[in-house]
Amino acid sequence: MRLKTRVSAYTLSAALIWSSGALSQQMKAEVLHWWTSAGESAAVKVFADQFTKAGGTWVDNAIAGGANARTAGINRMVGGNPPTMMQFNTGKQFDELVSNDLVRDVDKLAQAGKWRELMPKPIVDASVREGKFFAVPVNIHGQNWLFYNTKIFADAGLEPPKTFPELVASGEKLKARGIIPLALGGQPNWEHNLFRAVLVGHGGADMFRKLYGARDQQAVKSPKFKETVELFGKMRGLVDSGSPGRNWNDATALVITNKAAMHFNGDWAKGEFIAAGQTAGKEYGCALVGDGGGKLVIGGDVFVFPTTKDKNQLATQDKLIEVLLDPTSQIEFNKKKGSIPVRMDVDVSSMDVCAQKSHAVLKDPANQVEAMELLSTPNFSGAMQDAVTQYWNNANMSADAFIEKIVGAMRDAS
Amino acid sequence: MTTVSIRAPGISPPATTKARRRIRTRLPAAFALLPTALVVLVVYIGCMLWTVRLSFTSSTLLPKLDWVGLAQYSRLFANDRFLTSAENIVIFGALFISGCLILGFLLAVFIDQNVRGEGIFRTLFLYPYAMSFVVTGVAWQWFLNPGLGLQKLVRDMGFESFTFDWLVNQDMAIYTIVIAGLWHGSGLTMAILLAGLRGVDEDLWKAARVDGIPTWRVYTSIVLPLLRPMVVTATVLLATGVVKLYELVVAMTLGGPGIATEVPAKFVMDHLFERNNIALGTAAATIMLIAVVSVLAPWVYARYVRPQGRHA
Amino acid sequence: MSAVEPHGRRPRHLTIGRIGIYAFLITAALFFLLPLWIMIVTSLKPMDEIRLGNIVALPTAPTFEAWTKAWSSACTGLECNGISVGFWNSVRILIPSVVLSIAAGAINGYALSFWRVKGANLMFGILLLGAFIPYQVFLYPLVRIFSMTGVYNSLLCIVLVHVIFGLPTMTLLFRNYYAGLPLELFKAARIDGGGFWTIFLRVILPMSTPMIVVASILQVTGIWNDFIFGLTFAGRENLPMTVQLNNIVHSTQGERAYNVDMAATMLAALVPLVVYFVSGRWFVRGIAAGAVKG
Repeated sequence: MRLKTRVSAYTLSAALIWSSGALSQQMKAEVLHWWTSAGESAAVKVFADQFTKAGGTWVDNAIAGGANARTAGINRMVGGNPPTMMQFNTGKQFDELVSNDLVRDVDKLAQAGKWRELMPKPIVDASVREGKFFAVPVNIHGQNWLFYNTKIFADAGLEPPKTFPELVASGEKLKARGIIPLALGGQPNWEHNLFRAVLVGHGGADMFRKLYGARDQQAVKSPKFKETVELFGKMRGLVDSGSPGRNWNDATALVITNKAAMHFNGDWAKGEFIAAGQTAGKEYGCALVGDGGGKLVIGGDVFVFPTTKDKNQLATQDKLIEVLLDPTSQIEFNKKKGSIPVRMDVDVSSMDVCAQKSHAVLKDPANQVEAMELLSTPNFSGAMQDAVTQYWNNANMSADAFIEKIVGAMRDAS
Repeated sequence: MTTVSIRAPGISPPATTKARRRIRTRLPAAFALLPTALVVLVVYIGCMLWTVRLSFTSSTLLPKLDWVGLAQYSRLFANDRFLTSAENIVIFGALFISGCLILGFLLAVFIDQNVRGEGIFRTLFLYPYAMSFVVTGVAWQWFLNPGLGLQKLVRDMGFESFTFDWLVNQDMAIYTIVIAGLWHGSGLTMAILLAGLRGVDEDLWKAARVDGIPTWRVYTSIVLPLLRPMVVTATVLLATGVVKLYELVVAMTLGGPGIATEVPAKFVMDHLFERNNIALGTAAATIMLIAVVSVLAPWVYARYVRPQGRHA
Repeated sequence: MSAVEPHGRRPRHLTIGRIGIYAFLITAALFFLLPLWIMIVTSLKPMDEIRLGNIVALPTAPTFEAWTKAWSSACTGLECNGISVGFWNSVRILIPSVVLSIAAGAINGYALSFWRVKGANLMFGILLLGAFIPYQVFLYPLVRIFSMTGVYNSLLCIVLVHVIFGLPTMTLLFRNYYAGLPLELFKAARIDGGGFWTIFLRVILPMSTPMIVVASILQVTGIWNDFIFGLTFAGRENLPMTVQLNNIVHSTQGERAYNVDMAATMLAALVPLVVYFVSGRWFVRGIAAGAVKG
């Protein structure tokens, strides 16, 4: 583990240099994150304002694009000049930060704040390594929402679908009326997101976990999985020909402008509806599709705290954590971000109907399904994405060939 | 081949003094090249070796120096996305470089016909080069999208059966990348070649006119060979752009439909930064490097390394 | 200007050939203008109109709101000050980087093409190959090198990085250009007893203006539009404008204002565009002075 000691030596020496300068400035926190759009900016402001109120100084360092921000952050850790707090992804991505001692263990605060009781188990599991919290979750995003245009469904005399076979059937009817049944951002990650929505809705939570978590080849070879894959394949017919390459925002716009009926996306898509002046429950609705009322695939954003020996910085980090999980900032932040609070003990009645629905669904642990990012390595997720996009875009590729590719990805990807 | 002898003619000092003198006069030149030599050694060679070394490891998010032999390479060559990428870069490279040279040359020749508003045309052809592709790619994407752009416009004009769906067609999507690439790169080629054209001797044109040689013959048989250094410079610049092709693809297709427009640089970037798979990413980078070296090394050697001193 | 006068045939009146020339140029210009047209009309529309998807249609009620927003009030994180924030940082990175990388390229090119230094051509060969590696591969080891030497995250650091990655093309440009200069000039200067630097400063550099302009166009464009190096090496205080531009146009989950994106991109491209426009004249005239004739 030569690298490990070398890396920690860098961080250590850097921390010392950093601290000598920071001592004079009380509670100055540099925060690296990737929230840069207008809505996201308003959300960050909630945290920043609370921190300022508590006597701190928030130095904002925003870099759009998770990969850009993560790379910049990791380079700065390795280069010996880490920020005070840094956004990261829950799940496997930060395993190595933990094993290289690059991020701080915050378990003392977690125990004092009873995080394990307040947060859904998948979120807790994602933030805990070696029995300790190494990351602070701040929100929960549901990834498999169906957004639908209420007017189109009312005009067609249809109910929003409850299951995927139903969805395909109503999709065909809508298509006959000259409407795009399903708006899809035809980029590999959104195609993959749609696949996961179908998998958890039709294949079930267990199969979802077996594929992304356990990489169980038997589960993938089961008849139920094949049926799911074929159903997913049928949905190709519900998408318009302009889908490939389209940005997700443009797909959402199709629903907003009454051109398309349905759109699968994470709850962040609400931001587009809000920007267009639409209200959840009025112009558009949100629903979970799947057997038994549907499960919610949840992930979220977390912050990590680079290791430091400086007492002042440690105190600043503690204060930041307090601010992040404060019930008021949780509600206000998540209203703006489109997500829901990570604490299940706050009152969500002031939030929009979709958020309230999320909160209610998650009350039952059986409905909580951990997102792919929490179950799988980025590498396997990427390999799956390559497989899904090939299947989705080749109408003549058989379900068996697709399954074969998945098995290959399970075998090869680290 | 011309070589410079660094010695004033007419003086012939004894051999040893001559050699020493030559070394002394060349010393400043060697010193001037020293910083670059250091950079080449530390940064270029150093980073190349580091990259190659990492490709034999199992590094994921952070580099680590274990040894897994050729495991990453066997994964790489079993990866259909990488193979598609390799194929695409050959198609793109051939069409993009030849297209830019032809279009750039034509534009330069036509601009060189004493046209009005030359400055405007020149700036128009060059402006795409100044713009970040992240957003100009969106404009292209919209225009090529069958539901929004050209196809819809022509159909709205009444030609109901008109179809232009290359962007969303797996077999044709790579050519839309070529089109946008030409738009982006041929202006610079035009500028370089135009500069070359302006340097062609006036007497040559007069002579050609006297001999009654048609203009197009003068361009192809006399002017073009004269432009050789400019063509070489332009080709090298374009070729580096081909190997590094990334932004254009991300902005227009993100590698899709499916994996139809994936390219090697995107494969490297995705694995280094998105997929925490430094080892496979560096293996792909190593293969790219080997490919470039094997194509270019003979040319670089023959043209730049073997000849000592200058040559035209 | 007689010095820029083009060569070739110069018919005086409108013939079929002339019409053909203009037809070709105008068609080409339309092709080049197409995306710009889409970007301009989009930047003048409100988002509600953009969502309808008539991408080439003129705006019903043009508004410059997106432009002012992009410049001074679009959100790029906690702050909402548009792309203007990083403008001066970009300028501060641009000027020393362009000057130094061109100087390095000119000196290298001069040393390589007029002086015989052992191993110099091998070095140039390797440098040239280096131009073909995606530079993202270099990021991690470079961060390590710079943090060891203590210049990481500073203006000096980002300038050094730009100079290092400019070396291959700059050296190539000047080396090929000098290879075309008449050798007699150099020989004469040697006879007059000029040393390495004297000849460079008194004879070679004054003749290099055309190539310096070409090199400036390349480097100004490349460095002004650089995002990844600035982000990685410049440090928080010196982040270039492209970081704000990226924050505006590249949010993964946030809602997207295309009109602001388009305006921001065009605004960010203004500096290289001005450089093209201003330098266009010398650019063309200069090269004729020697590059090919020699």
